[in-house]
Amino acid sequence: MAAAATVYNPVGFDFSNQIRNNFLADRGIPLPKATSTGTTIVGCLFKDGIVLGADTRATEGEIVADKNCEKIHYITESIRCCGAGTAADTEFTTAMISSNMELHALSTGRKPRVVTAMTMLKQYLFRYQGHVGAALVLGGVDATGPHLFTIHPHGSTDKLPYVTMGSGSLAAMAVFEAQWKPSMTREEALDLVNAAISAGIFNDLGSGSNVDACVITATKTDMLRNFVKPNERVTKERTYGFRRGTTAFTKEEIRNLVVHEEIIGVRDDAMDVDGS
Amino acid sequence: MASADGGAYSYSLTVFSPSGKLVQIEHALAAVSQGTTSLGIKASNGIVIATEKKSSSILVDDSMIERVAVICPNIGIVYSGMGPDFRVLVARARKSAQAYWKIYGEYPPTRVLTQELANIMQQATHSGGIRPFGVSLLVAGWDVNRGSTLYQVDPSGSYWAWKASAIGKNMVNAKTFLEKRYNDDISLEDAIHTALLTLKEGFEGQMTEKTIEIGVVTVPTEEDLEGWSISSANTRPKPTFRKLTEEEVRDYLAL
Repeated sequence: MAAAATVYNPVGFDFSNQIRNNFLADRGIPLPKATSTGTTIVGCLFKDGIVLGADTRATEGEIVADKNCEKIHYITESIRCCGAGTAADTEFTTAMISSNMELHALSTGRKPRVVTAMTMLKQYLFRYQGHVGAALVLGGVDATGPHLFTIHPHGSTDKLPYVTMGSGSLAAMAVFEAQWKPSMTREEALDLVNAAISAGIFNDLGSGSNVDACVITATKTDMLRNFVKPNERVTKERTYGFRRGTTAFTKEEIRNLVVHEEIIGVRDDAMDVDGS
Repeated sequence: MASADGGAYSYSLTVFSPSGKLVQIEHALAAVSQGTTSLGIKASNGIVIATEKKSSSILVDDSMIERVAVICPNIGIVYSGMGPDFRVLVARARKSAQAYWKIYGEYPPTRVLTQELANIMQQATHSGGIRPFGVSLLVAGWDVNRGSTLYQVDPSGSYWAWKASAIGKNMVNAKTFLEKRYNDDISLEDAIHTALLTLKEGFEGQMTEKTIEIGVVTVPTEEDLEGWSISSANTRPKPTFRKLTEEEVRDYLAL
C-alpha cells in the first residue's frame, strides 16, 4: 500500500528461474515433484445450462495424496472451473481469477461473463508459457447464455458443447462421444457426467474415489459434492487385533516420566483482544 | 502570518501552523461540508446509509451517478465531498478487500477495511506535493466479530465509530435531528424511515426515488451463519450489504 515504493518491472519474460533450474538439474538435483491431480474432469451443455463433473483423487507421483479433494473451483456465483494438472497451480490461478472477476463485476456494475474469466485465464497462462500447469474446464451461465470452454496450460482455448480434460479424459470422452445429445434434461446430463467420470475413475490410475458435480443454470448453481461414491471403504469382515499375552516378554520395567509436578495459578485476566 | 485563514501556513500540507493545525486539512473538511448531505444510522438489526443524489442540472443522466458503493458483500460506503476522490477510494477499497480475501479466505471485518481506507487517506496528508482527499466517508458493514458497525473517516485519516452520523452540507441540523430521534433499540425499518425524514429536512427540491440513494446492512440469521461455517473455499458468503432498488425506495417514501 506504500504510495512511494516502486519496483522496476522490466519488459518481457523473466527466465532467470529457468536458468537456475537447468543448472541444478544438470548437477543431479531435479525439480521437486508437484502434486498433480491426475484427474478426470468434464463439462457438458444441457437444455437449461451446464453440468461440470470431476473425480476427487489427487496424486503425488504414484501415491494418492488426497482421496477426496475438490476440483470444481468457484469463479463467481454462476461460473465454475474444474482444474486438472498441478493442484497448486489450479487452486491459485482460479482463486486469483475469481478475485479479479469480483473486482471487475463491481467496477462494471454488471453480472460477470464466462468469456471474461476465459480471457483472463488464457492471457495469464500464455504469459507463463505453459509453466503454470493448469488445464481447466470453465463453464457457467451469464447474461448471454450458457458457455463451456477448455483452457490448456499454454493458453489455447476451445469452445464446445462437451469437453473432458486430465489423464482420464480419453475414457470420459469415449462415454460422451457415445451418449451426448443436444437438449438433454438435467437428470440425463447428470447421468452422463456420472458415467463419464466413472469411466475415468475405473479405467485411469490418476483418477479415483468419488464423483463431484456442479449444475449451473440461469437461476441457480447446485454444487453436488460427492454426488456418487462408488469407492466407499467396506467394513472389515473380522477384527485383526491380537490378544494380550500373544508376545511373551521376559522383563518388565515401568518408569514414571513425571518426576515432580507443581501447579501454579496464572493471572485470571482475559486477553485484551479489544484493542480500541 | 497567522491570519484567520492560516496565511502562509495554509498552502503547504507539510507545515504545521503555529496553533498546531494542518490548515490544508481544515480546508479539506470545508470542501466536504460543501458536499451533498449523507447520513448513516445503526439499528439494532442492521445499518442504513443514505444520501442525496443531487445533479448540477436536469440534463444530467442521474442513473449513472453512484454515491453509495458496494465494496465487498458485507461492506458499503457513502460519501460527502469530491466525487472523483470517492471513486479512487472505492477502487482502492475493493482491491484491498480482495487482497484480504486472498490471504484469509474471508472478507475483511468493517474495522479492518476502515483502517485501510483511513491509512490511504492519511498518507495523502503526509507527503509533499499531494493534497488530502476531499471526502468524508461513512463505512457500514457487518462482520461476525463485532456485528454491524458504522464508521466515519475524515480527510485527515481519523476514523471513529458512530451510532448515527451525518456529513456534508446539512450535517449540523441533521445530527441534531438524529440526536433527538435516535435510541439504542431502533429497528432497521424505523432507522430507514428516520434516515428519510432527516434527509428531507435539508432537501432542496423534490425527494423521489431518483434523487436519493439508500444502502442497507442486514444481519444474517442463525441458519445463514450455520451454512457459512460449513462452506468450503468453493462458496462465498451471502451479501449482507445491498443497495435498495428504486422500487423499494419509492415504497419507503410512500410510507
